[in-house]
Amino acid sequence: MATTTPDQADTESPPMDFGDLKSQCVAPRPSIMGRRRSLSGILWLSFKGILRGLLTTLSYFRRPSTVVTQQYPENRDTLQMFERYRGRLSLIHNEDGEHGCTGCQICERLCPNGSIIVTKDKKNEATGKPALDQFIWRQDTCTFCNICVLVCPFDTLEMTGDFESSVYDRRLLVFNLNEYAGPTADQLEKLGDEELAKAQMKPMNKYHGPVPMCGGELDGIPKLDTGKSDDA
Amino acid sequence: MTVEVSSLKELVEQASGTSGSPDTQEYFVNMGPQHPSTHGVLRLVLKLDGERVLRCIPVLGYIHRSIEKISEHMNYMNCVHLTDRMDYLSSIMNNWAVAKAVEEAAGIEVNDRIRYIRTIFAELERIQSHQLWWGVLGMDLGAFTPFLYGIRDREVLNDVMEETIGARLTMNYVLPGGLMADIHPNFVNRVKEFIKYFRPKLDEYDDLLTNNVIIQERLRNVGVLSAQTAVQYGATGPVLRGSGVAFDLRKDHPYGVYDQVDFEVPVGTVGDSWDRYWVRVEEMRQSLRIVEQLLDNIPPGDFLVKKLNSKIKLPEGRYYSQLETARGILGVFITSDKKDEPYRLHYRSPNFNNLWCLEPMIKGDYIASLIGAMSSLDLVIPDIDR
Repeated sequence: MATTTPDQADTESPPMDFGDLKSQCVAPRPSIMGRRRSLSGILWLSFKGILRGLLTTLSYFRRPSTVVTQQYPENRDTLQMFERYRGRLSLIHNEDGEHGCTGCQICERLCPNGSIIVTKDKKNEATGKPALDQFIWRQDTCTFCNICVLVCPFDTLEMTGDFESSVYDRRLLVFNLNEYAGPTADQLEKLGDEELAKAQMKPMNKYHGPVPMCGGELDGIPKLDTGKSDDA
Repeated sequence: MTVEVSSLKELVEQASGTSGSPDTQEYFVNMGPQHPSTHGVLRLVLKLDGERVLRCIPVLGYIHRSIEKISEHMNYMNCVHLTDRMDYLSSIMNNWAVAKAVEEAAGIEVNDRIRYIRTIFAELERIQSHQLWWGVLGMDLGAFTPFLYGIRDREVLNDVMEETIGARLTMNYVLPGGLMADIHPNFVNRVKEFIKYFRPKLDEYDDLLTNNVIIQERLRNVGVLSAQTAVQYGATGPVLRGSGVAFDLRKDHPYGVYDQVDFEVPVGTVGDSWDRYWVRVEEMRQSLRIVEQLLDNIPPGDFLVKKLNSKIKLPEGRYYSQLETARGILGVFITSDKKDEPYRLHYRSPNFNNLWCLEPMIKGDYIASLIGAMSSLDLVIPDIDR
């Protein structure tokens, strides 16, 4: 540990000149007790200063509704977050329940802390093109930097206003965001066959869909109820 | 100037060897790392004689997250979001510091709209940072009420910024080459509403704290930091200006659109806690002035001049850039080896230098004065450790 002796630091160097800025305002030195005032004068000025503060608080005490910002747990039903609020990440699904993610993994590559893992089918049976398998988002490591949403070339990601995400187990914060493992909405439309498209959207296992991955067999995420901690 | 290097252990052993009578025995007390008035995990080892502070040795490292090292494995766009976690009360200015350094090094020219919006947001961020500091200063000196008032007004401003950015604390708004999002259509009106709301509230602040005799007596002539010591210790921001050195990067080396606006730089005369207090309260007024001048003149244009997922590669070399955050000068030093990741990224954080002014300020004074003096330094501990 390096410390300097302040006394010596003060005396041994020549004074420095920083010049003066043209537009500056200098702090006043109010002194209620400093100047030569009578005791009654000091008492009166002190009393006046304190009284003004007390009157301010009293005025708000009489009208508490003017200072309330949010009555949070009570207004839960009516609370509207701003549309840009960065809460939980979600994959946009259209009204037919189809997503637009091709599994290009740009978001995974640019995520600063590896919170996104995108796995894909190398060749989908119906379309013959690669298709998304799982879009896994780790909320426990996410810093909500919004970069995945910005860099997505297909605009399929969005941040929702859902901010109540506390859970008792960290592993419950790992989500699979896609409803089904399969091709995008565009690719399904190109198939032309509605039956075939529906078949592609069938969930393959119980971890498909925006569910917490608890119990999922994933690298680095131990199963729940195994008695092992996450770090073990 | 001599620099005396000694370990904490040596200092404690030295002092324990010189025990006199129990009346005058000097002793060591740990203040922190879990002390409410250190505003975080800062540990101060105090050498005391009765209630007087003889030495005050800050011990750091309790919230070190190696942001600089992690940044070496990230591209420049991702480096930005870590700076939110340094001085979390001036996160937009931290973002801007990295963006500015990268833009200057890579030769990216941003348009006027980006510079206007950045300046407006930086000033709004400065106001909300000072609002929190003002409330916490009152709380440190034993007045709980101001904290509620500061937080109440900060909430209004936070909502304004949340509407555009989507975050309340870790903004990550300014990127190298532009901004993360354009301003919200409501933004200009809401900021105007805020200015109208906050101007009278500043007078209320004066009624609550500034004109209060107890606050004045606890701040005046306490923690005096001479201009020379402040410069020697590398103090910046309101701490330096409170000591009477009129040095503000916004005036001296203008960036953004600070050269086009009219504002005054508040400076103190003595360098005590009162001067630092007044400088910050006045800075809120000046920031309102700056925002007011810029708000109606935001020129049209893009909010991003560089495509987002394009790799920004800096030419080989070393680059330094700095700007004025709410607490002082934040410097960004980048060593580049032609890759899209920095070879080395160093932050010169304002709080680190301001912290060491504590000892010359408080030597020989009471512990109670130390609390007030430390509060007037406005330390954010995660910025010290990074």
